[in-house]
Amino acid sequence: MTIIRPSDEFLDEPFWKNLAWGTLHLNCCDDCGASHHPPSPICPRCRSWNTGWKPASGRARLKSFTEVHHPVHSLLESAVPYVVTLVELEEGVRMVSGIPAGRKVDLRVGMALQCEVIRYDERFALPYFLPDAKLDRVTAGRSETN
Amino acid sequence: MKTSIVGLGQTEFSKNSGRSELKLAVEAILAALQDAGLEVNDVDGLVRYTWDNTSEATIVNALGIPALKYYGETEFGGVNCCGAVAQASAAIEAGLASCVVFYRALNARSGVRFGRGERVLEERDGTLLSRQPEPPGDIYSAPFGLLVPGQHHALYAQAYAGHYGLDTEQVTNMLGSIAVTQRAYANKNPRALLRDRTLSMDEYRAGRVISTPLRVFDYCLETDGAMAMVIVSRERARSLSGKAVDVLAAGQYIFPGSAPMYLYAPHTYSLAPEIVGQELFGKAGVNAADIDVAMIYDATSIMVPIALEDFGLVERGGAHDFLTSGEHGSRGSLPVNTHGGLLSEGYFHGLNTIAEGVRQLRDESFNQVSAETAFITLRGASSMVLGRA
Repeated sequence: MTIIRPSDEFLDEPFWKNLAWGTLHLNCCDDCGASHHPPSPICPRCRSWNTGWKPASGRARLKSFTEVHHPVHSLLESAVPYVVTLVELEEGVRMVSGIPAGRKVDLRVGMALQCEVIRYDERFALPYFLPDAKLDRVTAGRSETN
Repeated sequence: MKTSIVGLGQTEFSKNSGRSELKLAVEAILAALQDAGLEVNDVDGLVRYTWDNTSEATIVNALGIPALKYYGETEFGGVNCCGAVAQASAAIEAGLASCVVFYRALNARSGVRFGRGERVLEERDGTLLSRQPEPPGDIYSAPFGLLVPGQHHALYAQAYAGHYGLDTEQVTNMLGSIAVTQRAYANKNPRALLRDRTLSMDEYRAGRVISTPLRVFDYCLETDGAMAMVIVSRERARSLSGKAVDVLAAGQYIFPGSAPMYLYAPHTYSLAPEIVGQELFGKAGVNAADIDVAMIYDATSIMVPIALEDFGLVERGGAHDFLTSGEHGSRGSLPVNTHGGLLSEGYFHGLNTIAEGVRQLRDESFNQVSAETAFITLRGASSMVLGRA
């Protein structure tokens, strides 16, 4: 159970509403088709104002990760260690994510991931990305990381 | 660029200055002016970080500066350390001011600490809320516990390791060589907060893990104090006391995703596109190979290998071997952070990074090397080349 969340006034925004309903949606451009994150009122690629939302495929690759050991807030003392990830979605956008508490996974930069939305209450859910062994093909010679 | 840094001033670095940031700022500014052979009445421009708590108005009022014709601010704190010098230079070259002081005053150890989540989160009924519009600790990152800059640096480090296929041992050796070498520099630097504490590779490895792969000795200090520097035109510098160091080039560079915390850019193992170094060295009229000493903003140790590669000081993927063989040490081919850096001297958000570059070119460093040109950068977001006057 996470204890950090966006303040309530943000949860009515499409990104969070769509997650609460169960699916990760990305801000996208109706003219050039590109997705962008974080959301913005205008498409950063073609500068069109015709932006909207579309469901993400959920497929991503791991660009980086870290296991946080040092709690930076007193309320996080029992939360550490926890894993933060930086993922790149198939749609070409990057997103911060993590590994849900209690799940043990071996992470390797470059590995294939699949989105799993975990809901915390009727207004708030988060997009996690977990290793997808079916899609992952280990490249020969890639060294082990943590 | 046609400006020079002619004065440096600072208070002591400490964990508790025991005085207000305003008092610290005034001490540093007066010291810098004295170093330059100038007076308060000569100052007609001020540059500072927006994040500084001591406004230009407060300085004008406290010091009785008769007429301030330029007051500039820059965003993102230390990210723009060299950009603040660029801004001061631009004001001088545009004729807006003739003598600009860049100052920073912060009780960062006894006061608000950047490494704490309390800075970006609000607590309510046992829940932590984010309203930050941007990282660190923004609404998209905070729920996953990504809250402070030091955790972002851990992501840079792991991305670097993953990109180049470095295993845990190689990463430890590479980063440890930075922490240990810079501590050795600090041990010879009377200004350094850690001048009396040695650090061995064994002690580095034994340091507790903060956020993998970074350990406690990979992180910079938190410091109370103030620093200031005086910038004037090159022409005017020649008429002053002779401590001038020329700003050959200074620049700023951000692009989509690179600011504020470099999460959404296309790469994470490299933090500055090649064009940044090409343009900077081009304007300075030097090549990367001409750089004699480098001051790399080391909020964490990973910034050093990334900057060395991003600016072509070391070939891509070559930082591990370069650093583990001690080339950044006092007898190496490119000494780095000869003051001990933010890791071991004190964390002054880039001003002490710049100051050591200036000191090397004035033969005032406590780890003096033979240097005609110094290079300074904060992951390419701001960079500078200094040369002997």
